[in-house]
Amino acid sequence: MRIDSLRLARSILIAVGVLGIALGAVVLVMKQDLPAIVSVALWMLGAIILHDAVISPIVFVIGVLARRAGRRISTGVLAIVQGAIVVGCLLMLLIVPEIYAKTLGTANDTVLPFDYAARLGFLWLGMIVLTAIVVVLYLRLSRPRAAQSA
Amino acid sequence: MRRLLLTLQHAVAAPSRNPRLAVVIGRLLGLAFLVCFATGLYSHFLQEPLPWMRFPTQPVQLYQVTQGIHITAGIACFPLILAKLYTVFPNLFETPPITGIGSLLERASIAVFVGASLVEITIGLLNTYQFYPWPFGFREVHFALSFVIIGSLAVHIGVKLPIIATYWRKRSGYGPELAFDAEERAEINAPLVDVLPAAVQRVPGARQASGLTGRLFRWIDETPRERLPEQTAKQTAEQTAEQTAEQPAEQTAEQPSAATSPSRRAFLLTTAAGVAAVVVLSAGQSFAALRPFNLFAPRAKGIGPQAVPVNRTAAAAQVTDTAVSPDWALTLTNGPTSMTFSRAQLLALPQTTVDLPISCVEGWSQMATWTGVRLADLVKQVASSGSPALRITSLEKEGGYRVTQMGSEYVGDPTTLVALNLNGETLDIDHGYPARMIAPGRPGVLQTKWLSSLEVM
Repeated sequence: MRIDSLRLARSILIAVGVLGIALGAVVLVMKQDLPAIVSVALWMLGAIILHDAVISPIVFVIGVLARRAGRRISTGVLAIVQGAIVVGCLLMLLIVPEIYAKTLGTANDTVLPFDYAARLGFLWLGMIVLTAIVVVLYLRLSRPRAAQSA
Repeated sequence: MRRLLLTLQHAVAAPSRNPRLAVVIGRLLGLAFLVCFATGLYSHFLQEPLPWMRFPTQPVQLYQVTQGIHITAGIACFPLILAKLYTVFPNLFETPPITGIGSLLERASIAVFVGASLVEITIGLLNTYQFYPWPFGFREVHFALSFVIIGSLAVHIGVKLPIIATYWRKRSGYGPELAFDAEERAEINAPLVDVLPAAVQRVPGARQASGLTGRLFRWIDETPRERLPEQTAKQTAEQTAEQTAEQPAEQTAEQPSAATSPSRRAFLLTTAAGVAAVVVLSAGQSFAALRPFNLFAPRAKGIGPQAVPVNRTAAAAQVTDTAVSPDWALTLTNGPTSMTFSRAQLLALPQTTVDLPISCVEGWSQMATWTGVRLADLVKQVASSGSPALRITSLEKEGGYRVTQMGSEYVGDPTTLVALNLNGETLDIDHGYPARMIAPGRPGVLQTKWLSSLEVM
C-alpha cells in the first residue's frame, strides 16, 4: 500500500515536472529568438561551471586548511570562524556586483544610493569584531562544561 | 597516500554531508522557490492579466508585501542553494557519471535544475538594480525559467522521494516507534551522501556512488582511524590546558552520536546566519521594520525626490518639455464623448488624500501621501454607469508601459487617484508631474506617470 502510493506520488511528480519544464521551454522559444535562447543556455552552463569548477574547489581548499588548523584550535572556535568567513563571503558575493554596477552608472541617483565598497569594508570589520565576541563568549561558556566532563 | 586521502575525506566531511541534512536544507529551498514562484506569477498576471482576471485592491499593501517577499525570498535563496549544493557536493565527482538512460536523465534534470536556479536568482538580483549584462530579455527569461525550475523541482522530489520520506522527520524523543535506532543514527551521521550505508541502499531510489569515486570513498572509509601526523606531533608537544579542554569536543565530533553532531549543528547555524544576514541587511528596501538595517539593498526608503525613490526619470522618459507645457491637459474619452482637464481644473475638483505605497517589481517600496482627484469621480463625468476598465496613456515617448490598461476593480476603488500632490507638495516631475495615477495593490510600472489620456474601454 505504502509502496504503491509512493510510486504513484513519484509518477505524478515526475510527470508534472516534465510538463513544467516543457512549458518553460515553450515559453522561452515563443518569447525569445535563437541567439537569446543560446545565450540563456550558455549562462546556465556558465553558472554550473562557476559553481562546480571555481566556488566548490575554493570552499574545498578552505575546508582542508581549516581542518588542518583544526588540529590546533578547538572545533567550536573553528566552526565559528569558518561560519563567519562563509557569511562574509556570501555577503561579498551579493555586494561586489553592486559596486561594479555602480561604476557603470545607474539610471538615477535613487538606484544603488550607497557607497557599497565602504559598507562592505565596515561589514568585514563588524564581522571580525562580532566573531571575536562570539568566540570569547563560546570559550567562556564551554570551559566550565569541559572541565566538568574531563 | 592513504593518510592524504583520509585528511581529504575529513575535509569534505567537515559539516556532515548526509541525506538528512540535504532534506532539511532542501525543504527550505523548495519552500523559498515555491514562494518566489507564487508571488512571481501574481506579479506577472497583475502586469499581463488574462481577460477574466480580477485582483483584490485591499489591503492596499498587498503587492508591496507579495513583491517584497518575492525579492527577499529570492535573496535568501543564495545561501540556501549554496548550502544545498554543499550537502550533495561529492555527487559531483561520481565516476562514471552516467550508468544508464535513467541516470542520464536524472543527471540532465539536475544540471538543468541547478543551472536554471543559479541563473534565475542571479538575473533576478541584478535586475533589482537594473544591471543587465546579458543578451536576452530579462522578463521573458525570468518567467520561462521559473517553470523550468518548478518542473525540475517536481522531478527532483519525485526521484528522491524515498530518501525525502525517510529523512523528513527528525524522529527523536517522540516515542519509540518514531525514534531512530542506533543503526539508523549511524546512517544519518554517515559523512557522505555517496557512501550510503547498507540499510540506506535498500531504500528505493538511494544509490551507492559507483565506479572510481565510489570505490575511492569506500576505501577511505575502510581505512582504520589513525592519528594524523599533526595530531601526534601536537600530543608530544606540551599540552596546554586549552588543548585538554578541547578533547571532549573532538571526540564527540568524530564518533557518531545520538545527538546532533557539532559539525552538523555548525553547518545549520552557518546557513541560518547566512540567510538571516542577507535578509536582515537587504529587506529594509521592502519592509519598513527592517529599514534601519538596510546595509546593501540597491534601494533605500526615503531616498529620492520628495522622499520617494524613482525608477524612470522625466529625462529618461523624454517628457521634460511636454510635462511642463502650459498646453498640457488630461483627455478623458468614452467613445464619442471627450473632455479635457487642465491641471488647474483638476485642482479645482474635490480633492482626496490617501496613503498608498509605490511598490516596484524590483522589490523596493515606499509609503507616501497622495492628494488628487478620485478616479471614479472623474470617470463618472464621461461614463454614467458602473466603473469601466480604462486604457491609460502617458506622455512618455516610448516604453513598454506607455499605454497600459486598468481593470474596473481599480477604477472603482475609492483610493485610486489621479494624483497631483505628493507628501504635501506639488508632484515632482520625476514622480509624474503634472498628474499621475496611483492605485492600491498595483506594481509601480502600472502607476502611470505624466498622464496624457484616459480612455474608457
